[in-house]
Amino acid sequence: MPASPLIMTAVTKRFGQFTAVDNLSLDVPEGQIIGFLGPNGAGKSTSLRMGLGIMEPDSGSVELFGRAPNVQSLRRVGFLPEERGLYKKMTARDTISHFARLKGLSASDARARADELLEATELGEFSRSRISKLSKGMAQKVQILSTLAHRPDFLILDEPFSGLDPVNQQALENLIRAEHDRGATILFSTHVMEHAERLCDRIVMMARGRKVLDGTLKEAFASLGQGARISVEHGFDLAAALSPKGFEAIRTADVGHGETWRIELPPGREAQDALRAALEAGAPITGFAPEEARLRDVFVSLVGEADAAALEASLAEDGVA
Amino acid sequence: MRNILLIFRRDYLGYVKAWGFWLSLAAVPMFMIIGAALAAFAAQSSPVRYFAVIEPGSVYAEAIEAEFREREIAEIERTSEIAEQLDLPVLSEVDVASVGEGGASPTDRKFVQVPPPADSIDGLRPYLLGQKLVSGPLGEKPLFAAFILTEDGGELEYWSDDVNVDQLRYLARNAMLDLARKDALSEAGLGEDFLERVDEAAFDVPARRIRTVEEQDTAGSEVTMADRAPMFVAGGLAYFLWLMVFSIIQYLLMGTIEERSNKIFDTLLTSVKLPELLAGKLLAVFAVTTTMMLSWGVFAFSGATIVSTQIPGVGNAIAPFIAALANPAIIVPGLISFILGYIMYGMIFMALGSLCDTIQEAQTLLSPMMILLMLPMFAIFIAFQDPGSPLIDIASWIPFFTPFLLILRMPHDPPLWEVLAQMGLMAGFALLILWLSTKVYRAGAVHGAGIGDMGGMLKRMIGVKGKAA
Repeated sequence: MPASPLIMTAVTKRFGQFTAVDNLSLDVPEGQIIGFLGPNGAGKSTSLRMGLGIMEPDSGSVELFGRAPNVQSLRRVGFLPEERGLYKKMTARDTISHFARLKGLSASDARARADELLEATELGEFSRSRISKLSKGMAQKVQILSTLAHRPDFLILDEPFSGLDPVNQQALENLIRAEHDRGATILFSTHVMEHAERLCDRIVMMARGRKVLDGTLKEAFASLGQGARISVEHGFDLAAALSPKGFEAIRTADVGHGETWRIELPPGREAQDALRAALEAGAPITGFAPEEARLRDVFVSLVGEADAAALEASLAEDGVA
Repeated sequence: MRNILLIFRRDYLGYVKAWGFWLSLAAVPMFMIIGAALAAFAAQSSPVRYFAVIEPGSVYAEAIEAEFREREIAEIERTSEIAEQLDLPVLSEVDVASVGEGGASPTDRKFVQVPPPADSIDGLRPYLLGQKLVSGPLGEKPLFAAFILTEDGGELEYWSDDVNVDQLRYLARNAMLDLARKDALSEAGLGEDFLERVDEAAFDVPARRIRTVEEQDTAGSEVTMADRAPMFVAGGLAYFLWLMVFSIIQYLLMGTIEERSNKIFDTLLTSVKLPELLAGKLLAVFAVTTTMMLSWGVFAFSGATIVSTQIPGVGNAIAPFIAALANPAIIVPGLISFILGYIMYGMIFMALGSLCDTIQEAQTLLSPMMILLMLPMFAIFIAFQDPGSPLIDIASWIPFFTPFLLILRMPHDPPLWEVLAQMGLMAGFALLILWLSTKVYRAGAVHGAGIGDMGGMLKRMIGVKGKAA
């Protein structure tokens, strides 16, 4: 059985008095897309850098493809760092082929691969343009292509969507799916939960250097209390009507000719059960909406308001609402 | 090794593709050619100026003329002496006597004596002011200067419109001194050549080199260029190392700053080991400076080859230097010192560059670096002047100076144990610098330490701590 691309066991990293990563254990099995979530400063990048051997943990151990990170195991990895940067005077083609050669490709293969990737991403005409002459988005694309050029088995992308416009974010999502279809294992960090919701098999949530959640999306949502919203005509006490049937209802707002109530769903009960109970109680229903749980809500429920505010700040920094 | 070569290749091509490299490459030969052309042009285009002497007879005019001849003869003799030392037959064969007999054309001089067109300063005024021209060997020209003996005969006044060109006045002043000496000798009843005979009677003090009897039988005792060439070669090698170190500062600083400011380190460090990265970068800068120096060397060698085909005997003049370069006793310690010195200084500059985010920050480091580099330069200068100085003996044990001073000490046959010990010292210190610089580089590149964060950086070096990513 092949070794997991990345296993981190009880890893801790301190910078002076500040604990950046606290006792993190993480297993990235082959073939999965894993989202590494949390606000800025949660310890995601430090964890990834330790996973790649750029930084040594103060305690704990890291295995990359079954052994401590080294040049051989790193050749199977494509890494996109959070702080993007390329040699500004190199051409797009030379940049991609240079990094591909550092990962073991021959000169001719590296050049051919650079040409192929640039053509595939509609950057062919800029292949001999210097990085300094490209737009920021194009340069980011070139860096992403440099990460993929050697067809890595394991992709580690640190905030890959940061700084990309919506069109390029969608293109990157497609690219990640394509790499996954090719067989690559993917671990990417983000503080934008929606990307993780769309892409991930599994998520790992970090807050203040600690792992607060590690599981599938279903497991993540299961940790969050589910709810539903039912609107009724004025004057009907939905809380009193549903209470005997085991549902708690809280009036949240007046809407036009009625009122909206939020129904807290007990474990094992679904929104449809609440609707059925309301109908059976004779409620004059004017509206119904099952609450759609979001990862952001899961995060808030796990870490509390303070860390949730940090996440909002991270999103605001990136201009994400 | 492959990764080192890839890093080397990228950095080397990055440097040599830049316009600045080609400008630097072209600058030295270009300045040499332009400088030589300007000097030749200045020598040729310097105007020939007329002057006149007004006196009752021709005593002072002849004294000035004699001074011109004496200087010309002295110049030819000096050139011939150098040519003889270098075993160049060309000028030593010139018939010096022909100059003394008035063989040199007066038109080769920059000052030519012409008959005075008037006999008073008032009469000469329009000529000296350029309003009228005087006739001379090179046609009609303004009168540049005139010497006028005062009525009391006590002074020879120098009149000219140009007070900045003083050579003629100084020459005349020397001529007057000679004249006064001759008069004094004559009054004392001594001949004009009395002082010359006194000079000739003095003992010569030829330099002899002490050798073993066997060596002396074959090589003689006369000091030749073969005896001096090793010191010149060692001096050249030490200076070359200094020049190399001096010229890599900007490359290593700027190159590292580019990578730090462009945030490339993380990408690189997931592809190559840190020592591979450093080795590749150091090699690239070494290759860049070597390319530059070799290009200049080829230019100089081509020039020397052309000159040697024109002047017979140049080959013989170069031979002692080539022999010194091929001497293992000089070149082996020289090369070891060169390589270790380069690694030592290169690593220091690269480590410091990794702490800078901007060129402005790097500039604040340049001053201490320059001071650090001026110290070996002073040591080289002192060692060249007095290689046996105790100061040099002591300084050669200071690792920062050892690479330069060991090279310079080699022509003087220092004890073998000292050579080996200093090589060991250099190697050990180079390893220490390598270790420390790698720590500093890692602190800068991986942990984001800056020059304003020296305290934290030192902590990181000993405790490997850093900023959160």
